[in-house]
Amino acid sequence: MSGRTVIYNARVIDPATGRDETGGVLIENGVIADVGAGIAKTTAGDVKIDARGKALAPGLIDLRVKTGEPGSENKETLATAGDAAAAGGVTTFVVMPDTNPVIDSVALVDFITRRAESVAKVKVLPTAGLTVGLEGLKMAEIGLIREAGAAFFTNGDKPVEDAGVLRRAMSYAASFDALVASRPDTPALSMNTVMNAGAFAARLGLRGAPLEAEWIALERDLMLAETTGVRLLADCISTARSLAAVERARKAGVKVSCSVASYSLFFNELDVGDYLTYCKVQPPFRGEADRMALIDGLKRGAIDAVVSAHDPQPTEDKRLPIADAAYGAVGLETLLPALLSIALREEIPLAVALKPVTSGPADLLGLPQGRLAKGAPADLVLFDHAAPWACDRDDLSSRSKNSPFDGRRLEGRVLRTWVNGATVFERG
Amino acid sequence: MADYAFPHRHLLGIEGLNRLDIETLLELGDRYVELNRRRVKHADVLAGRTLVNLFFENSTRTQGSFEIAGRRLGADVVTMPIATSSVKKGETLIDTAMTLNAMRPDLLVIRHGSSGAVKLLSRKVDCGVINAGDGTHEHPTQALLDALTIRRRVGDIGGMRIAICGDILHSRVARSNVACLNVLGAEVRLIAPRTLTPPGAAEWGAEVFTDMRKGLAGCDVVMMLRLQQERMDGAYLPSAREYFHFWGLDEDKLSHANPGAFVMHPGPMNRGVEIESGIADHKTRSLITEQVEMGVAIRMAVLETLAKNAPDIGAKNQ
Repeated sequence: MSGRTVIYNARVIDPATGRDETGGVLIENGVIADVGAGIAKTTAGDVKIDARGKALAPGLIDLRVKTGEPGSENKETLATAGDAAAAGGVTTFVVMPDTNPVIDSVALVDFITRRAESVAKVKVLPTAGLTVGLEGLKMAEIGLIREAGAAFFTNGDKPVEDAGVLRRAMSYAASFDALVASRPDTPALSMNTVMNAGAFAARLGLRGAPLEAEWIALERDLMLAETTGVRLLADCISTARSLAAVERARKAGVKVSCSVASYSLFFNELDVGDYLTYCKVQPPFRGEADRMALIDGLKRGAIDAVVSAHDPQPTEDKRLPIADAAYGAVGLETLLPALLSIALREEIPLAVALKPVTSGPADLLGLPQGRLAKGAPADLVLFDHAAPWACDRDDLSSRSKNSPFDGRRLEGRVLRTWVNGATVFERG
Repeated sequence: MADYAFPHRHLLGIEGLNRLDIETLLELGDRYVELNRRRVKHADVLAGRTLVNLFFENSTRTQGSFEIAGRRLGADVVTMPIATSSVKKGETLIDTAMTLNAMRPDLLVIRHGSSGAVKLLSRKVDCGVINAGDGTHEHPTQALLDALTIRRRVGDIGGMRIAICGDILHSRVARSNVACLNVLGAEVRLIAPRTLTPPGAAEWGAEVFTDMRKGLAGCDVVMMLRLQQERMDGAYLPSAREYFHFWGLDEDKLSHANPGAFVMHPGPMNRGVEIESGIADHKTRSLITEQVEMGVAIRMAVLETLAKNAPDIGAKNQ
């Protein structure tokens, strides 16, 4: 990408600095050469793009995406996930290790990296299993895999149940200052559940996952993070009490950050409604009080990352009685619209709402992108922050269409996406 | 120093020894090195005394070293065959001790897999007891032979920067060495992955590192520890190859230590796991075979010293 591209007449939003002003971005050789109110139509450049007053922000960084590659390419490939990401303004995403085979070795991390470089439109970072085969028994080669480029280590959706194994794996990871992500869950309490436990689940006659399933595991993880000194990402927390626990631990000096799935901010348990299998996810949609507490956390900047928790499932695994249906929802294309809708409805400044999808995750992983800074990669998204639209799953780029947003009205739509200064998506 | 009366009846650990105690043993060890290099290696200081080796854990070099040391000093050396003995038939540790005590040995050399077991036995017998390694607690004669090896190379251990690397958590050698080198005024560093770093190691009087290259910077001596096979199966470490990559001593990592830094290992070595063969066999830098030689000398020094302090056997029972 040689030459100078000028994007002008934009509402420039940079969560890293809190910047929200009219101006533009100057791109040179795929890198941001300048940014701010000084960039205008008159700025010298080879290509000039009039943003027409729309919002221009760093491309999104999504810390939790599953594809089906390798092993279940019928669900999603790195290429189709890349298309979905580009259409959703996501310019970097992190893939989870729970594939077939499990990403738990140097060779497989290398495979994902190379494969994504050749087929995906956006940047893809692999993670690796914290334990071999995600079996929760033996730690993976954390040091060598980290050198091979794994963003962090996680057991995905299979929590490490043996506290001794987890403690030693965390302690060992701390030798390298590696980041360990753990989605807090207690299988003994959440196994075979369909939705949030409570009065509504009872009325529907469905097995519910109690809040304690998350609390117990999270408290354990926080204690082990405190004693081992590991950097912990509490992955996809979904309750008010979980957020409070993370904040309390952080205040006490524990190196803990947290992520929240965008659907946990958008939906509550009532949205499961008429046994909608697209709304069967882990962690489940919680009660309204929990949802509001997470939104409050978003306003306060207490949430480090908002993730799509993209988990494609084909029709044959979803068009089943809800108890038999697979968990998971696609989310790459709705991550930004969901956040923008919440920001609009809850009156959250865009520079605040977008921090956990830009500089927040970038800082966790030590990435140069996720900010509109001179010298940063020109990974950008242009969007109409309040444009109303209705989500139709058939319009999604993902190979699987299992979106809980299907049929819902959203405010905010992606217009154009750039990766290293090159356009990877433009709405026709 | 020659007149100094070593004040202990047993040698259960380095813990509790002062600088004079240690230096007395080293001086004597030095003299026995010279004796051992003669054609006729014999002294009669332990003539008529009985030394019993009691090894509850398999050992080749330490057991052999004590046997040779005892024989060179003229003692009657008996090595109890534990593997086929009454211990296997369910006799308790204390009963074994009482039985042996009745045979009136002068010195008892004991190795046992449980930390504290040697101390327990020492309370039940009348003779002098030497700890040849108890669990993950202490191995004092190893620390003394290491100190003798270093001292003969560098003169004064005081002010030397010495790194101990590897499985500190499970190492009795490391515990004894940290104590010994600290008393002798060295600057001790511990280098290990966090899973093999004991809790509170920072309070042992040593600086703790996880990054081996940083830890080795400016070191005069690098002491490697043996990594037990069972530690590499994914519980404490993911694999032998990852361990070698980050904590195995190779040319590159050793280049961060001082030029000409010495390399030591208590043996037996896992070549290619904790140490590269080229370094283990290095003509000028590796002191590994020298350590074995010093082992016999220091054990002679320990045996002679403790034999002097052993009470008249049986006095208590008469």
